[in-house]
Amino acid sequence: MSLFWIVLGQPGGLEEMATSKKLITREEWEKKLSDVKIRKEDMNKLVMDFLVMEGYVEAAEKFRVESGTEPDIDLATITDRMAAKKAVQCGNVEDAIEKVNDFNPEILDTNPQLFFHLQQQRLIELIRDGKVEEALEFAQEELAPRGEENQSFLEELERTVALLAFEDVSNCPVGDLLDMSQRLKTASEVDAAILASQSHEKDPKLPSLLKMLIWAQSQLDEKAAYPRINNLSTATLEDPRDL
Amino acid sequence: MPVRIAESSSCSTPSQGILKFEILGWHLVSESSEMELIARNLSISDSLTCANSGDTLPPACTLLSIGQAFSGSQNVSSLQKDEAWKVNVRIQGCDLDHGYLCGTMEALNVPFADTPVVTFWEGEIVDTKNYTFFTGKWEATIEDDIRHWSKFPSFSPLLNEVKDNGGRSLNLSNYPYIFMRWKEQYFVNVGVDCGLTIAGFYYVCFSVSDGSIDGFYYDPNSSPFQKLELKSTNEGKSGFSFSSYQLQ
Amino acid sequence: MPSTAAAAAAAAANQPDELIRRLRSGDGAVKLKALRELKNQIIGNRTKKLSYIKLGTVADVVGVLASSVSIDSDPGSGSGSSLIVESAAIIGSFACGVDAGVKAVLEAGAFPHLFRILSNPNEKVVDTTARSLRMIFQSRLAPKYDFSKNENADCLISLLNSDNENVTGLGASIITHSCKTIADQKILSSAGVLRRLITLLNGSLYQREASLEALTAMLSSNSAVISNFVDLDNGRALSSLINLMEDKSPRTRLLASTCLIVIGRTCSSYLQDIELKNKLILILVELLEEPDRVGDEVPFALAKLIVDREDLQRLAFEANALDKLCNFLQRETLQPKRFEGLLLAIAELCSRLESCRSKFFSLKVLNLVTNSLKHDAADVRTVACICLRNVTRSVKKLSAGYFMNEMVVDPLIQLLHDSSNSVQVAALSVISNIVVDFANRKSIFLRCGGIKELVRLSQSMDPTLRLNAVLALKNFVFLADNSSKECVLAELTVSTLVSLICDPEPKVQEQALAFVRNILESGIDSIKPVFTEDGIIINAVGRQVRNALDLNVCLEGIYALGNVATGNELHKEAVMHQILEPQVNGPSQSVLMKFLQGNNSQLRVGAIWCIINLTYPDGPGTSSRIARLRDGGVICQLKKLADDPCLDAKFRVKTALVQCVNNNSCAK
Repeated sequence: MSLFWIVLGQPGGLEEMATSKKLITREEWEKKLSDVKIRKEDMNKLVMDFLVMEGYVEAAEKFRVESGTEPDIDLATITDRMAAKKAVQCGNVEDAIEKVNDFNPEILDTNPQLFFHLQQQRLIELIRDGKVEEALEFAQEELAPRGEENQSFLEELERTVALLAFEDVSNCPVGDLLDMSQRLKTASEVDAAILASQSHEKDPKLPSLLKMLIWAQSQLDEKAAYPRINNLSTATLEDPRDL
Repeated sequence: MPVRIAESSSCSTPSQGILKFEILGWHLVSESSEMELIARNLSISDSLTCANSGDTLPPACTLLSIGQAFSGSQNVSSLQKDEAWKVNVRIQGCDLDHGYLCGTMEALNVPFADTPVVTFWEGEIVDTKNYTFFTGKWEATIEDDIRHWSKFPSFSPLLNEVKDNGGRSLNLSNYPYIFMRWKEQYFVNVGVDCGLTIAGFYYVCFSVSDGSIDGFYYDPNSSPFQKLELKSTNEGKSGFSFSSYQLQ
Repeated sequence: MPSTAAAAAAAAANQPDELIRRLRSGDGAVKLKALRELKNQIIGNRTKKLSYIKLGTVADVVGVLASSVSIDSDPGSGSGSSLIVESAAIIGSFACGVDAGVKAVLEAGAFPHLFRILSNPNEKVVDTTARSLRMIFQSRLAPKYDFSKNENADCLISLLNSDNENVTGLGASIITHSCKTIADQKILSSAGVLRRLITLLNGSLYQREASLEALTAMLSSNSAVISNFVDLDNGRALSSLINLMEDKSPRTRLLASTCLIVIGRTCSSYLQDIELKNKLILILVELLEEPDRVGDEVPFALAKLIVDREDLQRLAFEANALDKLCNFLQRETLQPKRFEGLLLAIAELCSRLESCRSKFFSLKVLNLVTNSLKHDAADVRTVACICLRNVTRSVKKLSAGYFMNEMVVDPLIQLLHDSSNSVQVAALSVISNIVVDFANRKSIFLRCGGIKELVRLSQSMDPTLRLNAVLALKNFVFLADNSSKECVLAELTVSTLVSLICDPEPKVQEQALAFVRNILESGIDSIKPVFTEDGIIINAVGRQVRNALDLNVCLEGIYALGNVATGNELHKEAVMHQILEPQVNGPSQSVLMKFLQGNNSQLRVGAIWCIINLTYPDGPGTSSRIARLRDGGVICQLKKLADDPCLDAKFRVKTALVQCVNNNSCAK
């Protein structure tokens, strides 16, 4: 240790970074794009992947015959998967559970979160139908034990049971559980679990590619002005705004 | 906050260094002929050449072990000998595998301070495995390193080897001095507003033969070459005692 | 409402009985319907499984399976296969995740039936059955599959060679479950299983993962099988494993990493490449984010990778692993398993590097870890202790008295009464570190009743507890003030201390002697209390120094005597007596001479310090002691050590001789 000497700090200067964006004209851009090659088979695989994942069995079958693209999944199983998914979307949760169990009994045994969400959806449907007593009994018998096993399930359960406390559920803080979006959420979990059991990814690749496109454009926006795609469905290039 | 004026950094001459060597390194030599014989046996000249095939780390020394105490002084400036404070040091931790040593340093009659000031320091042992003579941090350049190490007479036989690579290829297992850097980490009993700074660090040389410690404080923003001189102490006991602990 | 609720409950209670009755029906259709209901009730529902297991339903289902197998042998009977599919699915579900279910399934004799069904021509039947068998083999309760029987090994190979994904998966699961010994690994390796498993790495996601687990079981701690594996196809097996570490599926990434960890921990040469090490660390750190089972297992894999490997700990630290782990630890709803894993990985990261410990403290999770000392799960309590033990290795923090406060100390002392032995041992290890306190706050530990508990455990019948308790007491009295030392000595009692010095375990002896050494460290006032009851402590110490075979026992003993020799004339004379007395049943030579002539430099240095203290200048009896040492050949032996290869010994000899010579010249 030592006594202090007077020390004068030197204030460091901040340098302003000069920035300027590069302008890329439509002609330059289209020329660059025309140099990019895309293989037909890759396109076909993307289309097949989309049809399979979204459950268009007949379209997938036709596309298979016409393009000669082999799907990486047994097309027959798509029907089973879609049926289970559809059952949840229609509110027939018990039916959905049976279908999943027939398809592969391991899925719900090894996926406690999905099982809980299906049971929760059953409870929601009972409440929606005004079967209060049955709903209470079901929550007690089937869901409470799951809550004991897992803290986050317990919280979700409490939120769901709260639906019973409100006269006007459409206007209560947990009303979103009764929305169609809740059914869709559960249905897509079923979908993903079945796909996973078939060693398949849960999302189609096409949307991922489009997301990537949007992200790449936003990255490029910081550095350059260029013909942008603003409407994904038409994919038209729009002229860059003047700088 | 006290203000100190800069002093010339070329305050030490080689002759002073040799003098110190005579005083500290050989101070046990007395009139007895038996003792002179013993002392001559301790010649360090051949210690660098007897390279063991295995261990090249500095020697372990009971006087530098956990629990041992040292006392002495630190000169506040390198010129005025009278401006010094009393210093006590105790070794609290030692991990030779990692070249690590730590302990506390207590400064007793510090100007402007009401109580003794205690700091906790961590040491790097120059073992050429974990640490070399080159500090490589704490605002110390290689030139600073060489300038400070060279103030220890016991360093001069090593100078040429150190210049190239910090002494990485040296075998210090038989060298009767252990070189270290001690860096204070925090004040134990006072706040940071105690008027003292611990921004710098000490270049330290421990003598295995008698357990004495010399050091120089280095901080570009403090008075240069403040000298630390410590001797192994048994705290008034009729002999030296040793204790130990073991971390699990 | 109450009456209707009760009625509903009664109806629910009746339901299972009714279902079981239908299961036993002779009508195939009724039976099938009941089976389907049962299946949909129990899948995913642990409570339902347990209640049906209690009712003995498993045996009924196995009964249906057995009878359906015989019906099914009659070709053209469709209902037979449906009954098999449903009952096999139910058996698998009972065995899934419920130990009692596995037991019930095995007791009901389902095993041989299921194996027989694997050769059924119906794909769906085989699928379901293989899946159910796999569920059983995923439990540790499943019987060990004996690979040494030829027919078993053949059966396994045929499973692995099947075209059916579930059947190959079953084969891999059997290996994962039952391949435990070097002999198992050898049999499977020489049966060509490695090659088949490597082929399966190219199969479906499911096959890949099953085969990775099986490979891990086969390679674990077996360098011979590992080198077989690495040499296969010119190292292509290893590189495909490394490629799988970057697979899309998180579980595959984890399993491939785990397999590589097993390889690297056994044969470190395959885990030397810095890029590979870095990659492995980064993958594991990234996987910490995964939910469910993968995320639960990752911290354990990380801990296993870095244990005792400083290079890997450093890499993990540089990859911000500690920040991430601590970050997760602070999340609210953590399952005990995940929590345990995170604590363990943090503990391993902080085991050696001070930089990690500093980071740990700056991340403000110490309170959280301290709170988990009270966790319900014993495993979590143990790991919380291990984590605290490793972070309290920081002398920098110990020096500031950072841990010596009621918030940390109290729960630790509570754990010394824990029902789990491993928790007690782990808690003792933290306490051992914390009581090394340089900030004069040891009284806090006394006040919390810690010494009482340590003394209690120092008399435990369990040698591990005894050892750790004595070690903690030793650390407590290190540089403690004399009043604290006296408190400890009074609590421990002289007779217990003597029995610990003479403990049957040399490690306990060593720690007890080190305890005495620390007690005696601070001069005459600390030495006097040890000289009670006719010096039985010093006699016990001397006896161990003279007779012990264990080096560390001798070392602690000689230093304890050296410390006694810093006292007054009486103390110094007592030491003279202990170390110059000829050994029992040995040569007439004294123990002091034995140490000085021995080839252990530490013992020589300890003995020399003893001599330095005995010949310390200005004592009235110093001359007489020097004379006796000279007569005992000690001075002569010291001169022989003037060129001791150990520098410490060489210089201490010098000091001792100077003291002797000076005393002589004064006397003249």
